[in-house]
Amino acid sequence: MKMKKGLTLALAGTMLFSGLLAGCGSNNNTNAAKETNNSAAAGNSAGNTSELKPYELKMYLIGGPQKDLDLVLKEVNKYTQEKINATLNITMFDWGDYDKKMQVITASGEPYDIAFTSSWTNDFRRNAANGTFLGLNDLLDKYGKETKEVLDPRFLEGTKIKGEIYGVPVNKELGQQWVWRFNKKYVDKYNMDISNIRTLDDLEPLLKTIKENEPGDITPLAVPKGFKPFMPFDYVLGDELPIGVYMDSTDGKVVNILETPELATSLDTMRRLYTAGYLRPDVATLEGIDNIKTGKWFADREITQPYAEKGWSRSAGYEIVTSPMHEPYVYTQSAAGSMHAISVTSGDPERAMMFLNLLNTDKYLRNLLNYGIEGTHYKKISDNVIEDLPAMQDSYAMPGFTLGNMLLTYLHADDPADKWDAFKKFNDSSKEAPTFGFAFDPTPVKTEVAAINNVTKEFMPALYTGSVDPKTYLPKAAKKFKEAGLDKVIAEVQKQLDEWNQTKK
Amino acid sequence: MAVFKRKPKEIDNNAITPLWNVVLNIIIGIFAFTCVFPFLFVIAISFTDEKVLALNGFSLLPEKYSLAAYQFVFNTGDQLLRSFGVTLMVTVLGTLISLFLITTYAYVLSRRSFRYRNYFSFFAFFTMLFSGGMVPNYIVATQFLHLYNTIWALILPIAMNAFFILVMRTFFQTSVPDALIEAAKIDGSGEFRTFLQIVLPISLPGIATIGLFCTLGYWNDWFNALLYIDDASLVPLQAMLMRIQNNMEFVIQNSMQMGSSFEIAATLPTETVRMAMVVLATLPIALAYPFFQKYFVQGLTVGSLKE
Repeated sequence: MKMKKGLTLALAGTMLFSGLLAGCGSNNNTNAAKETNNSAAAGNSAGNTSELKPYELKMYLIGGPQKDLDLVLKEVNKYTQEKINATLNITMFDWGDYDKKMQVITASGEPYDIAFTSSWTNDFRRNAANGTFLGLNDLLDKYGKETKEVLDPRFLEGTKIKGEIYGVPVNKELGQQWVWRFNKKYVDKYNMDISNIRTLDDLEPLLKTIKENEPGDITPLAVPKGFKPFMPFDYVLGDELPIGVYMDSTDGKVVNILETPELATSLDTMRRLYTAGYLRPDVATLEGIDNIKTGKWFADREITQPYAEKGWSRSAGYEIVTSPMHEPYVYTQSAAGSMHAISVTSGDPERAMMFLNLLNTDKYLRNLLNYGIEGTHYKKISDNVIEDLPAMQDSYAMPGFTLGNMLLTYLHADDPADKWDAFKKFNDSSKEAPTFGFAFDPTPVKTEVAAINNVTKEFMPALYTGSVDPKTYLPKAAKKFKEAGLDKVIAEVQKQLDEWNQTKK
Repeated sequence: MAVFKRKPKEIDNNAITPLWNVVLNIIIGIFAFTCVFPFLFVIAISFTDEKVLALNGFSLLPEKYSLAAYQFVFNTGDQLLRSFGVTLMVTVLGTLISLFLITTYAYVLSRRSFRYRNYFSFFAFFTMLFSGGMVPNYIVATQFLHLYNTIWALILPIAMNAFFILVMRTFFQTSVPDALIEAAKIDGSGEFRTFLQIVLPISLPGIATIGLFCTLGYWNDWFNALLYIDDASLVPLQAMLMRIQNNMEFVIQNSMQMGSSFEIAATLPTETVRMAMVVLATLPIALAYPFFQKYFVQGLTVGSLKE
């Protein structure tokens, strides 16, 4: 009897409390909804900037919090108030925390206006599918015309889901290109010609020279576990999984990469290189490699962008040269490498778009946000060239590629004058991968994809790095993949890809 | 006394044989060593020269010692010192608040004369079985209590702990006899006076034990900072380390998609610097441990002696 009474009390208490919370929450929601409606109406009727009501834009960006952000924001706000009568409130989350933070903020329904999003953090496809982000087609047409003109149309193509754009992409390198990097010291020493090195087979004689003539602690091919030889496939589910379409494919046929002759020859070559001792013996379990720091290496592999060698050489302290493995390709995820999305909880989406438009087309604002205040954080050498002042490193080092149109930013003295032209050329020369614009929806085959992922982790690092003999292990891996349901996933990919190809025509 | 002296060899029934004594000591010694060993490694790495580390990898006795990592931390480390201050303040303030809340709640539950003790026991116990989850917690803390970016966000969410309340209640029940409270009452002591001057002083071992748990909890907490703190001046030590670690992993994993990752990688601290930070973050609390130990041992025996 006593227990029962206690229980009733407890239940009553809990219900009272949760009722209180729920009441509070729903009130908030309706208020927010009302506000949205009001301001949307106001925005529509007003139309021109002079009649805009003051508004504070809440924006989330990725990157380590910067000490002088408030100082810079004061300047930014002076300018944006004048232009669109809005002030800006930026919150930055660290690289590693951003994803988690944004998930909590999204789940809690907290209102904000703009957030950084991409294919690699704060996943924009998931968010767009869940209705977190606002569709931007109309807004872009109305308030973002200039931005649209600046961008390579393929950027917008990559951020479309079922015809609707969900993010304003940052204008930067569009394509993706792998290069072989070489330690110039050894290239010079042995007078090597690296300009035509494309494949592993091209590379092999050079590795041999290094192995034979240099002491044992120089790693000829300094790569860690994730290394894969470049193969002419467009990987539909990321290059970890052996599902892809031939780069030059016209019929859009999805193939099991494990069964292709290209993979077989690649793996044989890798095995040969591994047994010859050109790689670290423990490469299959190596998470990362310190080659840049120690300088005891000859070649490795990296993703590039125009003039990347300069950046690499600068941070290494010695010269690094490169040779491309293939021509640059535009993939769905490379076009969506860095974007800003407008939240559905935004109190004034029109204003958010006006601001994004300004950020992507206004040189003064863009540079102010990126480099801080002239005289405090940098000084101008000439019209378009700046020099960092010490305050830049200490208190305002912003990651430029997350802040909007990169091609508007000032150059540093050691940057080549044609840097941004080179970016444009690079983008123009980038070819579209056969599945560019297509994004696979893994929901129907979730379990199989997870199972394949596990098989990949088990076999692929050892196979790709040549640590095991492909003659015995490739069939084993293929069998395991089959058991895990690879065929089913391929069939599903093929089905979705066909549907997508249909809609494209 | 004389009765005992008659026997020349006294047999202690609780003692174990010398052989077992040696065996158990060795086993526990090995266990203790495996606990301490990784930390020794961290200390060794923090004193290693960065270049040697890159060339030779980790080793317990580095070829070349260097204080460069510590120099780096202390020179550029105003963030570290600030975080240190935040952690210290949160730990002290938090432990005091926690102890106050836990002991008062537990004491009330331990009193048989309290009418609603079953209900309140259940109310605390219930939270051990079911919790609201992260998102409701976040909503309550940020939109209801407005704790975002305040020091209270680091203190209040973990101030109460149902398990500690139950432990403390049992402790009060077993170590504070009802007769004592009754005696105090007869002598004219009010409830508060009884609690503060009679009950608390004789419960010191239990309080110290729970206090140690709370201290460790506050010192090691980073998750609340992850959720509720952006202001760099309020980031506690462990959260700062966690962020550095997360950032490194993130950059390594996503360098392929980010393209310009070398810009970011250049700003990340080196291996030795990270290890030096770990040492600086762990050492103070490790040094505080021996001071609690005497209560710790006592707390356990007192519990088993009574009634």
